[in-house]
Amino acid sequence: MDLYREEVMDHYEHPRNQGELVGDDVIYDHEVNASCGDSVQFYLRIVNGKIVEVKWTGVGCAITTASASKLSEYLQGQTLREIKDMSEEELAQKGIGFEVNPGRIKCLMLPIKVVKKILTHTSKI
Amino acid sequence: MFDPNVIRKDFPILSKLINDKKLVYLDSGATSQKPSQVIEAESNFYQKFNANVHRGAHALGDEATQMLESARQSVARFIGGKEKEIIFVRNTTEAINLVAYSWGMDNLKSGDVVISTIMEHHGNMVPWQQVCKKTGAKLELIKIDSEGKLDQSYFKEKLKLKPKLVAFTHVSNTLGTINPVKEMTKLAHKAGALVLIDGAQAVPHMKVNVTEIECDFYVFSGHKMLGPMGIGVLWGRQEILEKMSPFITGGGMINEVFEDHATWAELPDKFEAGTPNVAGAVGLASAIEYLEKLGMENVRKHDMEIVGYTLDKLCKVRNLAVLGPKDADIRSGSVAFEYKGVHAHDVATILDSEGVAVRSGHHCTMPLHKSLGLSASIRASFNVYTTKSDIDSLVKAIGKVKQVFGK
Ligand SMILES: Cc1ncc(COP(=O)(O)O)c(C=O)c1O
Repeated sequence: MDLYREEVMDHYEHPRNQGELVGDDVIYDHEVNASCGDSVQFYLRIVNGKIVEVKWTGVGCAITTASASKLSEYLQGQTLREIKDMSEEELAQKGIGFEVNPGRIKCLMLPIKVVKKILTHTSKI
Repeated sequence: MFDPNVIRKDFPILSKLINDKKLVYLDSGATSQKPSQVIEAESNFYQKFNANVHRGAHALGDEATQMLESARQSVARFIGGKEKEIIFVRNTTEAINLVAYSWGMDNLKSGDVVISTIMEHHGNMVPWQQVCKKTGAKLELIKIDSEGKLDQSYFKEKLKLKPKLVAFTHVSNTLGTINPVKEMTKLAHKAGALVLIDGAQAVPHMKVNVTEIECDFYVFSGHKMLGPMGIGVLWGRQEILEKMSPFITGGGMINEVFEDHATWAELPDKFEAGTPNVAGAVGLASAIEYLEKLGMENVRKHDMEIVGYTLDKLCKVRNLAVLGPKDADIRSGSVAFEYKGVHAHDVATILDSEGVAVRSGHHCTMPLHKSLGLSASIRASFNVYTTKSDIDSLVKAIGKVKQVFGK
């Protein structure tokens, strides 16, 4: 199975940046995958428009878990403006970096949807 | 002789390769494959008989109308109803919405009770939630027992609330459970309720006779019973349908139209507004003919054999937990399971890479999954062309999960 290659399995088995963040400088939201009920929540700590810390929680399949884990590493250090200016596809390409077959795109994109959702309602940009 | 290996030859798609492997189609519960006979019947309609129905006095129009009405006759014969009680709709979901919005909006009021069950497909749950919200009626859901059967004593208890309607599935699309429809209908009637039965997963696999069940509404989809997509059936008891208001209004369903009002056509036209899916109905009639030739007793016997074989095999796989009753006598059509420690979608993707097509997710039964403490499961579902060798391929492909996930 191409999809479940080493890098993906590594992020699935050892997900990075799991947990929650609290504080006035934290923005967060969650989103659900309607096909299986999995949900993912992302927390971003923002200082001067820059993401300085990322944590996430949620239950998911290997794809969603690896995708959230990789994205959480990528987001650290980016500015909200940069993320907002990217399309979902671009963010997936840069922030996740692996592809899935069409049936699993919802799993792959769930973390992206969450982050994009956070950006629709924050004033910290 | 009922031989799935011979039957398979009628289904062109089953010789397709997926990922360079022979397609093992175990998602018939979502939609069945179609035999050439059905595909040809539908295409034959367009090639030789296509015209709009119930209009224009020309020969072709008469032929098309004749074909639609003859399809209606086939359906009536197949499920034991009267022709004028057969309403063609798009699918099960539309049939239930028709009853919910037509009968429900006219007959339910604040304080009334509607009973459904936790094992329903969203199609037989969400419309009732909506109509209850609009009318102020209350929706009560019957629970299941530890085996995955409806809890009959809980049902009897809830009947004391004098529900106006009891809506439940004949066969669960997730647990596979066959519900005791006749007994439950009798009890519901005694409590003064009307009964709607969702037959989407029953009609493809067993002889169904609405007159014997004595229910008031029975609904199903053509596409799960070897027929085309886009055609489904609402059967309703004549005297009830006659009192109901139309659901969708417009052309084809009127008697007379005045500038400010209209009167309704007789059954079944009253509920078939707009141009119907005539080719779909013709295809459905062809599917019925196909099933009748096989004999529904044989179809059910094969169904039970495959379900039994699957239960046997899957119960022996480590890390698997089968959902629903363990007895094939009270199951039909599918076997869903959980693979401990691996997400259902990941299992399905691995199976797919081996050419095995299964459903993963909640199969439109989110509340049921939640009540079982699951978010998703994997479902293998069957039809007349399913062989034991398909099940062997499934079991072999499941072995691949351990290779990838080490669990
Ligand atoms: C029990 C049951 N009810 C209703 C439906 C909905 O059928 P359709 O999508 O054809 O309306 C299904 C199909 O998945 C089903 O299995």
